[in-house]
Amino acid sequence: MEFIQLKEVSKSFGRKTIIQDVNLTIKDGEIWGVLGNSGSGKTTLLNLLSGFLQPSVGEIGYFSRIDNQPKNLYTNFHKIKRHIGFTPQHSAIYPKLTVKENLLHFGQLYGLKKETIIENAKSLLHFTGLYEDRDKIADHLSEGMRKRLDIMCSLIHKPRILFLDEPTANLGPIAERDVLALIEAVNAQGVTVVMASHNLENVERVCTKFAIIKDGKLRSYQMLDELQRPFLKDNVSINIKTSKEKDQLIAIAKKLPVSRIVDQGNQLVLDSVDPGKTMSKLLDSIESEGLYLHDLDVRKPTLREIFEKIVEDKE
Amino acid sequence: MSSLWLLTKKSLKVLIRSKSSALIVIFAPLLIILVLGLAYNTNERFGLNIGVYAPSFTDDVNSFVSILQEDEFTIIPYDSSIEQCVDDIRSGLVHTCISLPSSLKVEDNNPKDIVFYVDPSRVNLVWMVQETVKGKFELRSQTIREELSQNILTKLMTTKDGIAAQNSLLSSVKEQQNSFSASTEAVKQQLSTLDLTLPESSYSTESVDTIKSSINSSHEKIGEALDSLDSLNISSGQKADIKDALEKAQEELSSSLTLVEGNASSSVLGIIAILEQDLASARVKLQAAAERTANSQTILETASGEIAQTLEQLNSISDGLGKLQQNIESQQVTEAGTIASPLNTKIEKVSTEGTYLSYLFPALLILVVMFSSLALGTTLVMVEKNSPAFIRNFFLPIKKVTFIASIYFTNLILILIQIAVILLISLFFLSDSIAAFPTVAFILFVAASVFTFLGMVVGYIFKSEETGILASISLGSLLLFISGLILPLEGIAPLLRGLVSLNPFVIAEGMVREVFIFGAPFTNIWIDLLILISYAVALFLIILIIESFLHDHLVERMIRHHREKQQRPK
Repeated sequence: MEFIQLKEVSKSFGRKTIIQDVNLTIKDGEIWGVLGNSGSGKTTLLNLLSGFLQPSVGEIGYFSRIDNQPKNLYTNFHKIKRHIGFTPQHSAIYPKLTVKENLLHFGQLYGLKKETIIENAKSLLHFTGLYEDRDKIADHLSEGMRKRLDIMCSLIHKPRILFLDEPTANLGPIAERDVLALIEAVNAQGVTVVMASHNLENVERVCTKFAIIKDGKLRSYQMLDELQRPFLKDNVSINIKTSKEKDQLIAIAKKLPVSRIVDQGNQLVLDSVDPGKTMSKLLDSIESEGLYLHDLDVRKPTLREIFEKIVEDKE
Repeated sequence: MSSLWLLTKKSLKVLIRSKSSALIVIFAPLLIILVLGLAYNTNERFGLNIGVYAPSFTDDVNSFVSILQEDEFTIIPYDSSIEQCVDDIRSGLVHTCISLPSSLKVEDNNPKDIVFYVDPSRVNLVWMVQETVKGKFELRSQTIREELSQNILTKLMTTKDGIAAQNSLLSSVKEQQNSFSASTEAVKQQLSTLDLTLPESSYSTESVDTIKSSINSSHEKIGEALDSLDSLNISSGQKADIKDALEKAQEELSSSLTLVEGNASSSVLGIIAILEQDLASARVKLQAAAERTANSQTILETASGEIAQTLEQLNSISDGLGKLQQNIESQQVTEAGTIASPLNTKIEKVSTEGTYLSYLFPALLILVVMFSSLALGTTLVMVEKNSPAFIRNFFLPIKKVTFIASIYFTNLILILIQIAVILLISLFFLSDSIAAFPTVAFILFVAASVFTFLGMVVGYIFKSEETGILASISLGSLLLFISGLILPLEGIAPLLRGLVSLNPFVIAEGMVREVFIFGAPFTNIWIDLLILISYAVALFLIILIIESFLHDHLVERMIRHHREKQQRPK
């Protein structure tokens, strides 16, 4: 079921256009990753999706569960607020309140009954593993715990959709893992998740759909397989593990039909437009030159590689 | 040195590029100076409304009123009672009331009382009124002093002329007296030369001859008697006795005859001769005395004439002196104090006597409320705006008005606690005014609302907390400067005066003063209260507009701000 739909949406601040002609549809239960370089406009896109900002051009539609008809998200924002959870990049909590107080505060402001708030809070505290720390002042929590509290505050009213802006930024590996697990678990509960992040690995791990933004323009928004598909044909990577003859291998590779040679130290990555031909010629050359080859494999591009390709290619 | 300059340059750039900081840091003092400069850059007279009461507006009173009007004071005449004017002071319509007598002419030793009614709680205004309006009285007083002195001088000149005239008369009297003295001396001398000793005189002796012949005859008759005695038929004894007696009588007659006829000076004839001589001498002397007496009479007649003339002159002098005395007595103002200060100015306070604290208390209250509310309003908005959780407000199903109201109520609770503490403490000093406290508390509540919203407007406009606080303090200072607390509002340029009187500080302070010092009822202040409430409502609406207008800007700024904060090394 469609949930949010962007049609030819642009957003400008003054003369500067941040988002340009974006079309995107988010369905219930999906988990989206919004990718982009710094300043590419992903936070703005997230703010537009969440109704936080009004589009300068275009329309953002919101589909209610009752009639499944799109309504203007921004103009109906006051009605939709209860269905939206938003966790910005920074901790949007009151640092001088305790964990429980933060939850109760936001729960009460959402107009929930006290029993419901307590029940939701308790459930969230257990869910996030912060139950024992419920009486701690938020400021005294670790970064990871604060982020979990932040997400809890966005979930206290049980929204339909949760927006997360850089949820793992500035977190240590363990906290990052916990937060990602939490996001997955939240999505598993049926909450649609849209997260913007720099961390492509984390996004690849958690998200099922991707929107890549560069200079305010949306480049792609397929599922990972769909995203990889065009690159499988023309952008299969050949990884060669070398020892001493790297320079000779590079010289050979330059004669092959490769679009890019990436030197990764003891490994060369060749992006080939014709992987079969490249492989054949490469092996022939290695044999004829009498070079030693440690390892060789052909694999699908990672999200990072696709992202880099998209960004670089289109530049 | 270069690093010092680099750091300084950087700080300046940072400051200037933060528009609001630059604006407030650089322009706020300039703005304050500009506003105050515009306000007080006037050589026009103070905009004082002066109530003048007089039992009747005579020419004298009107001339004084016109003197006051020359200086563009607005004169409001009161002819019914001074109380009405005093009531208008309390309500702030009039700055001072002057109670004048019907006439300012000083006619006796009692100086004319001119009473100023002032509001002692407006300390600076009281002095200003005294300095400016009393100056006018001083001018009038000077005129009266001159009139009185001129009057005295005229009398002195008249007296001087009178005395000169009397002096010439006295000279004449003196001359006459000298002449009279000389005359009497002459009379004295003449009389002293009179010889009134009785001279010996000769007298007629015929009677003595007669006596002598009588004695002789008697002697002869006694002889005859003796001769005839023998023939008498009487005893010889008897004859002898008679004969002895007759002989003795004969002898005595003989000796008497001797006394009469003798040559001795002691004889009757000798005495008479001497008397005759004496009488002749006395006659001569009396003749001389008669002549001198005649002379003296002439002299005394002359002297008598002179005395009459002197008397006449003395009467004239007496009359002249009487007139002089009358002239001097006609000077009714005789006391030096009255001449020196013909107009006695008194200052009457229109409120009950209190300490300076009670006079300053309303201003202090509003001052505390204003700065606390402004600073708290700004701070709370800034704290909320800069709070990491601020972004969540946009996703909460709460109206904007609720957020604004929540900040307002938070502020209000804190301010009301402050007010309660201040009022409780003040009970120790101003326990007499306890009845006014509920109304004062209500006014403070409304004033706190206005200043809170004002502080909140500042909070919404400015970016950083420091800048916002600086702006709110600047705003508070500006309101304070144009409140009349430091510099009298009446000294502001007339064009701005009306505008400045709409200063919420002025309105609130005026109300508290009216209630607290004068015990004015609620009905006296409801219009001002309504103005303050309308300010609060207007400011609330402005906040709503600013909040809506700045929404996108705030969001964008907030996102950037928090991102920068996040990226800052810890």
